[in-house]
Amino acid sequence: MIDPTLSGQIEFSERREKLTLFMQNKLGMFGLLLVLLFFASAIFAPIFATHDPFQMDIPNRMSGPTAAHWAGTDQLGRDTYSRVLYGGRVALKVAAIGVSVSLSIGLILGMLAGYGPRWLDNLLLLVFDTIRSFPTIVLALAAVALLGPSLNLVLAVVIVTTIPGYARLARTSTLALKNTEFILAERSLGASPVRIMLRHIMPNVIGPLLILAAMDVPVVVTIEAGLSFLGLGVLPPTASWGSILNEGYLIIRDTPWPVIAGGIPLVLTTLGFTFLGEALRDVFDPKLRKGH
Amino acid sequence: MSETLLDIRNLNVDFKTPRGRVHALRDVSFKVPKGKIVGVVGESGSGKSTVIWAVTQLLAGNAVVEGGEAIFDGRDALKFSGDELRNYRGEQVSIVFQDPMTSQSPVLSYREQMTDILYRRKGSSDEEKRRNAIAMMRRVGIPDPESRILQYPHQFSGGMRQRAGIAMALLMDPLLLVADEPTTALDVTMEAQIIHLIRELQADMAATIMLVSHNLGLIAELCDEVVVMYAGEVVEHGDVHDIFHRAGHPYTRALLECDPARETTRMRYLPTIPGDVPDLHVKPSGCVFASRCPRVFDHCAGNRPRQHRLGENGHLVACHLLDAGLAPDAPAQEPSATARMEQAEHAVSREKAPLLEVDNLRVRFRIMGDFKARIKGVDDPFVDAVLNASLSLKSGETLGLVGESGSGKTTLGRAILGLVDTHSGSAKYQGQELTGLSNSEFLPMRRHMAMMFQDPIGSLSPRQTVRALFSEPFEIHGLDGRNLQDEVHRLCDMVSLPRNFLSRYPHELSGGQARRVGVARALALNPALVIADEPTAGLDVSVQGEILNLMSELQTEHGLGYLIISHNLPVVRHISDRLAIMYLGRLVERGDCDLIFENPAHPYTEALVRGVPQPDPGKRRTLVSIEGEVPSLASRPSGCEFHTRCKYATDECKTVPPVETTLADGRVVLCHHPLTG
Repeated sequence: MIDPTLSGQIEFSERREKLTLFMQNKLGMFGLLLVLLFFASAIFAPIFATHDPFQMDIPNRMSGPTAAHWAGTDQLGRDTYSRVLYGGRVALKVAAIGVSVSLSIGLILGMLAGYGPRWLDNLLLLVFDTIRSFPTIVLALAAVALLGPSLNLVLAVVIVTTIPGYARLARTSTLALKNTEFILAERSLGASPVRIMLRHIMPNVIGPLLILAAMDVPVVVTIEAGLSFLGLGVLPPTASWGSILNEGYLIIRDTPWPVIAGGIPLVLTTLGFTFLGEALRDVFDPKLRKGH
Repeated sequence: MSETLLDIRNLNVDFKTPRGRVHALRDVSFKVPKGKIVGVVGESGSGKSTVIWAVTQLLAGNAVVEGGEAIFDGRDALKFSGDELRNYRGEQVSIVFQDPMTSQSPVLSYREQMTDILYRRKGSSDEEKRRNAIAMMRRVGIPDPESRILQYPHQFSGGMRQRAGIAMALLMDPLLLVADEPTTALDVTMEAQIIHLIRELQADMAATIMLVSHNLGLIAELCDEVVVMYAGEVVEHGDVHDIFHRAGHPYTRALLECDPARETTRMRYLPTIPGDVPDLHVKPSGCVFASRCPRVFDHCAGNRPRQHRLGENGHLVACHLLDAGLAPDAPAQEPSATARMEQAEHAVSREKAPLLEVDNLRVRFRIMGDFKARIKGVDDPFVDAVLNASLSLKSGETLGLVGESGSGKTTLGRAILGLVDTHSGSAKYQGQELTGLSNSEFLPMRRHMAMMFQDPIGSLSPRQTVRALFSEPFEIHGLDGRNLQDEVHRLCDMVSLPRNFLSRYPHELSGGQARRVGVARALALNPALVIADEPTAGLDVSVQGEILNLMSELQTEHGLGYLIISHNLPVVRHISDRLAIMYLGRLVERGDCDLIFENPAHPYTEALVRGVPQPDPGKRRTLVSIEGEVPSLASRPSGCEFHTRCKYATDECKTVPPVETTLADGRVVLCHHPLTG
């Protein structure tokens, strides 16, 4: 029998074991590095940037990489490297706010649909299916026609269209848990439905949702880029990866650099979040962990 | 000594895990003689299944065979590969799996599955293969095999499915039949039938069978030789009579004593084996059982024991006691442990008023919607899971509720606690009606009644620490004002769980530890009534005793009333004062536990009581006590619902439903012709 005073150490070693497991996952560490790079570059864009993203340098327009312009310039001679950094801020804002808000709402609605009464389930499913039957772009067009283009509108569209994905996932996992013995045991203790949902169902369904969120970040970034291209999102001259890509695509015969510089961060961010998501799942889902 | 079919020599298997290597098998050696049934017995973690998966080369991907050989018919089965391996697995060795539900393909009919097995017989036509399959199905006792062979596994009941599994395993006429816990997933009456079938087939075909099980009764009933395994080593190997009557190893002796089925007189405490199976990440330096052995001495820890031959039949025992020339049959239990087994003062409350009173309770489940029922022309789209159930329980008393799966015993328990809606009838707790209460009305009552669920680990919320699980009942009932820390420690001490376990999660607990957490949670608020659904399911025999002892200690201490729901008759017999036997949702017999076991009045009770395999090879049964299967709830038989399986059934039984009669000794029986009185 182990001395009770050792319990603190055991708790500590449990945490350290998770950390070690995560560190052993090379892809996960690589993903974490990319994600941190993404956050750092977006947050500290003004410090890392070499130019004002709106400052034009007409004589040097559409140049390749030079000492002054590390990633070349676009058709107006703006510094692509700095614009990419500032574009990351737009991407981060949309991704962070959009994904976290729709994850939270989706989680709550999904648990309500799964654990609540049958009629609520049917009603919510109807709403989710209705939203999903709209193509995102059409929904966005309609919203813009009514309210005019803005970044906040992009956010709202992203949130509304991604909620059903989270909600359905949460609902399915909740349904699977609803009749398990531990939920029954909680009911026999007298736990209220709210308590059961928040304390016993949520920790068990949130894992897959976080993975989905990590994978959704690049999707959201692309939606923003696509909408910006159509003139429905970020208004020029504000830089976003989408607008950089699309402007670059028009001048690709003159210089490939805007497309390359705008595309690489998108690819790396996608990879980073995917690797990180999978590594986190492996470490934090005790049931998937091997060797117990 | 007959010819050896399989000779396992110094088999070593490791499992690679993130925490290092687990040395699951260490130097396992034993022989399987031709034409014999060899039983491999051990608790979970003993490596008994690893042996059969190693021999058939079906080990999980993270397993490494570190050495040893398995000589099968002259050649090393561990070195087979390619065609040779397929030939060995297909023609020479067959496996009967534990769970026939998951080991048979759900999308193929039995005909397709069985002719598939015969694909190696290139010479024979499909028609021949079909005839072979039908003959084999008939042989394992499946009625009307010509038409049933066209059915799918889900159309078969559990017992029939296991029979089909055996038929499939025997189809290629294998030299060796490996059976992995073949009856564990089955009910007592089905188990008896399968045991009977295996014994018959073995006598018939002179097959060699390797049977792996934790069930001592099954082993005693079936086997010729027994291999006892503990923590990855063979501790004893010999003739079944030697093992059960003249066991040499302290572990074997302790294991046999733990089994409640062995009890002849009722004891308040069951013997247990204290401690846990050692951590196999480290290769044990001495005897593996030393840490739990009641007769350990200074020699045991440092040296690995040698195998000794013992008795006139020369069965093998690996124990240091024999080095020292000490008699193996000296008392295995310390006197202090035996002293604890004395009949404890048992205080069933003398008060008249029962704690729990259930009267004519009925629970129905809807099987289809109204609309569908109308289309299909079904008048009554319900099934009755519990019908007219009446029982009562006093404080300090234990009532055992027994029945096969599908008998409605679990539903009855849940209905009392309002976890399932009742249709009619009443359930009263200390005179207060429980049925028809809303959740909020029921809440204050829940302090006084608690439930323990079947799966020790699965009934604990997986993402909560033990500390959170322990403090939860206090939070739910608004008692967080109490010092939670003190309460949590009190619960830990009550179930003797070390306090450093408080930071663990359920999946980090062993079955026995998780069960302790479940007991503590149920008793956290000092309830008066505890409903325990299969309290020892999924636990090893040695741990089962600990939990049962704990439960009866707590009962004496707090005057608890227990309603124990179980299909495990030895356990129920050990712990219960009174019994209620359930069949198809009805209580067919109620009364004093000892009376019922000694002299069952209902034919169904008789079948159950006689159906338990005894852990004594001298008491093998010759007759199957009950035929057939539990009918479907949706189509209840007419008259007495048991008449389809009852060997005493008369014409009256087939038409007239019996009424409850009270016998002279106070038992209530639902039968036209009770066997006593």
